[in-house]
Amino acid sequence: MDQPAEIIAWLQRWKEGDESAAEELVRHLFPVISKIVRLHLPRREQEEDLIQEILMKTFSRLHQYKGDAPLTHWVSRLALTTCLDRLRAQKIRPELRWADLSTEDQETFGASWLGSSAPSAAGAIQARDLVEKILSTLSPEDRSLVLMIDLEGQSLQEISDNTGWGISKIKMRLFRARAQLRKTMQKLEEHP
Amino acid sequence: MNMNEDEKWHSLLARSVPAFVGETEPPYGFTTAILARLAERESKQMEKIGLRAFFAALAVLAITTAVTLDLHFQSRGELEPGVRSLIQMENVPVS
Repeated sequence: MDQPAEIIAWLQRWKEGDESAAEELVRHLFPVISKIVRLHLPRREQEEDLIQEILMKTFSRLHQYKGDAPLTHWVSRLALTTCLDRLRAQKIRPELRWADLSTEDQETFGASWLGSSAPSAAGAIQARDLVEKILSTLSPEDRSLVLMIDLEGQSLQEISDNTGWGISKIKMRLFRARAQLRKTMQKLEEHP
Repeated sequence: MNMNEDEKWHSLLARSVPAFVGETEPPYGFTTAILARLAERESKQMEKIGLRAFFAALAVLAITTAVTLDLHFQSRGELEPGVRSLIQMENVPVS
C-alpha cells in the first residue's frame, strides 16, 4: 500500500481527538472529492453540500478504514457511491428530443461540429449542460461509466478497482451505454 | 456510433472538459464549517451517551426498588423466631 506518512500521522492524530488533524484531512481530501462530485454531480444538486456530506460520511466511517488501500482510493469509492445513490433518486429521461433542448443547447450542439477548439468558460459550462442532458438518458451507472472512460480516460481495470464492478459487467454496461448514446445523438441530428 | 456521431460526441465532451474540472482548494469557510459540524456531531453523541447512561441508571434504580419492596412485603407477615415463641408462651394459660 502506498500511503504517505503524513496521512498516517493525520489519521493517528484524528483518532486521538486532534482537531487540527481533521483540518489537514479535509484540505487533503477536498480536491479528490471535488473532482468526483463535479464529474458525477447529479443535476440540480448543490456541489458544496454534496462534498460536505461525503466528508461527514468519511469522518463517521473512518474507524472502518483498515488501511489496506490508500485513503484517497477509499474516499473516492465512498464519494462515487454517494453520487450514484443521488443519481438513482433522479428520474431517467426516456429520450431526448431536439425540442427538449434550449436555444443555447441547440447552438452548442451545432458548434460541436466545429471541433474541440478551446471554448470560453461560459461555452464549456454550456457544453457541460448539454452533455448532462444527453447523459440523462442513461442509467446512473452507465452515465458515470461513460464519463470515467471518455472524459477521464480511465482504464477498465481502474474503473473496476474504483467501483468494485467486474470487467465483464463494465464492458456490458459500456456497450449498452454506447448504443443508447448513439440513439440519442442520431435523434438530435435528425431534428427537423 | 458512426464516425460522425462518435466525433461529435467526443468533440462536445472535449468542449465541456474545463467545466468538469474540480476545485483544488476548499472555498473560504468550508473547512471551518466541516469542523463545526464534526464538533456538533461529537457533542450530540456525547449527549446521547449521557442520556443513555442516565436512563440505564434510572432503570437499575427502579429494578432495585422493586426487588427491595417485593422482599419487604414478602417478609412483612413473618415474625422473628424469638418473637413468635414469646407470643406462643404468652398464649399458654397459666394454671
